[in-house]
Amino acid sequence: MASKKLRRAQLSQEMCERLSRYQITTCQDFLCLSFLELMKVTGQSYYEVQKLLCKVSRACAPKMQTAYEMKLRKSVNPSSAFLSTTLHSLDGVLHGGVPCGSLTEITSPPGCGKTQFCIMLSVLATLPVSMGGLDGAVIYIDTESAFSAERLIEIAANRFPAYFDSDEKLLCMTRSIHLYRELTCFSVLKRIMSLEEEIILKKVKLIIIDSVASVVRKEFDTKLQGNLAERSNFLTRGASVLKYLAEEFSIPV
Amino acid sequence: MQRELGTLPLAPALRARLAAAGFQTAQELLDTGPCGLSKEIGISREEALEALQVVRQECHGEAARTAGGSGATRKCTALELLEEEQTQGFIITFCSALDTILGGGVQLTKITEICGAPGVGKTQLCMQLAVDVQIPECFGGVAGEAVFIDTEGSFMVDRVVEIAAACVQHCHLIAEAQQEEEHREALETFSLENILSHIYYFRCRDYTELLAQVYLLPEFLSEHSKVRLVVIDGIAFPFRHDFEDLSLRTRLLNGLAQQLIIIANNHTSAVVLTNQMTTRIGQSQSTLVPALGESWGHAATIRLIFHWDNSQRLATLYKSPSQKESTIAYHITSHGFRDVQPPAVTPSTEGTELNPRKRPRTEEEKQ
Repeated sequence: MASKKLRRAQLSQEMCERLSRYQITTCQDFLCLSFLELMKVTGQSYYEVQKLLCKVSRACAPKMQTAYEMKLRKSVNPSSAFLSTTLHSLDGVLHGGVPCGSLTEITSPPGCGKTQFCIMLSVLATLPVSMGGLDGAVIYIDTESAFSAERLIEIAANRFPAYFDSDEKLLCMTRSIHLYRELTCFSVLKRIMSLEEEIILKKVKLIIIDSVASVVRKEFDTKLQGNLAERSNFLTRGASVLKYLAEEFSIPV
Repeated sequence: MQRELGTLPLAPALRARLAAAGFQTAQELLDTGPCGLSKEIGISREEALEALQVVRQECHGEAARTAGGSGATRKCTALELLEEEQTQGFIITFCSALDTILGGGVQLTKITEICGAPGVGKTQLCMQLAVDVQIPECFGGVAGEAVFIDTEGSFMVDRVVEIAAACVQHCHLIAEAQQEEEHREALETFSLENILSHIYYFRCRDYTELLAQVYLLPEFLSEHSKVRLVVIDGIAFPFRHDFEDLSLRTRLLNGLAQQLIIIANNHTSAVVLTNQMTTRIGQSQSTLVPALGESWGHAATIRLIFHWDNSQRLATLYKSPSQKESTIAYHITSHGFRDVQPPAVTPSTEGTELNPRKRPRTEEEKQ
């Protein structure tokens, strides 16, 4: 939205050309300038600049919705609001399970079972909606190489013996879990950025990143100068992309 | 401005003196100023001022049109301001301790900033305020609508439903206790659906969308003139990452702050911002301070800092032009933002009598 070209914001052709001489081509550049600079650059009067500003803002401003519309939308599809973890007390505390459309973070000291929980969630996500799943694919970004496919099959077979009664069903399930092994921060970020198309293509319903901390701690030593800023830069960029994906597709992350 | 002195309606004696001193056009007169004029011609300062005012009035007809100012500069006496402030409403937070230290609640026409560590309750308070601003006037509210600009995505509709339901129930209890006609009428419009449909929600993903939205806000507010609260949840989030040019960031933030002040004043609405905390690493220890730097600290009129003390949530009024600095404890219950219940079950006033607009609550309403 921010990098929208000014041409598409319905500004006149000569205005766009004039602005591009000052290297202002996107809405972001336009809105970052102060009023005086805008007047100088466009050569227009105060009121004209205000009107231009409104036009450009309208091109990239978000749409308005009332809280009531949001609630109606949610109530139309109640089952898709949460992914139940099948642990009743946990579901009770979370008001239904892992919420769709937002980021959930699982932290613990080593060995408590985070990866096991993630594997379990992947199985649950592939189940059909009638059994409490999301009936979709899973993207699993593994940074510690801790994902074991055998364990996945073991969990599936033992937990839902009635459903996974045949090998075929198990294979079908494993085929819908896409595993990516990334070992550096940069590749994790690149992978996250490229997820949008994959989600649409493969009908993904769950994204798991296991784990963010390990790859960040490996690369960024906070005692060194400048690393703190870079680290938080990487984290916030990744977080905002993931938030966008979660909200846009209404899936849990 | 180039009018000859002969055409101006000045006294003949004065005109003679001005001609003797060599003044020819009105512009020269205005440039000299009253003190200089009185010294040159030999008249008193008051007479010089009078003459200048006459000149200005004559020439001002065309000048005012070309200046084309926005007319936003109003000057009024402090008495007028006092009357205005006293009749102004506050948006209550349902936590009477917090209302007390704020002087009645969140003030209209002022920018309030809420800073705190993650998870301490900033978004909860914002959602509570978005519901509380809609309380009808007979129950002590301002009967307005709310604009919620979300940059972090932490707005949960289900939670707002809970808070709104608790608020409606609270008003029902008051109405039953008071048994007045206006209460019943107001309750008919104060339903869950109405509350939710008067919260206008915008989801901004980066700072460009936020800037664009704030530029468009005055127009939106003139269309929806009942809006009395603008919440920007997470003003720090889009500005904290991906900004190499810190001077640009400061400039954008200052411009944003100015626009928000204009919006707050022109539309008599309260502006509430939430900010994150960042660590400042000092010589020997590190402290948590509000994010976005020192210059941003000047933007907000009232600053609240939320923090933890073991497992108790505390709110500190850090900066306020009219109230003193104090700390209170609060709770977040399933009904929303509330006081910490005092251990003794005495029907204490809890400071509600301090606000004359609030009806006194009876025992059964203190949930």
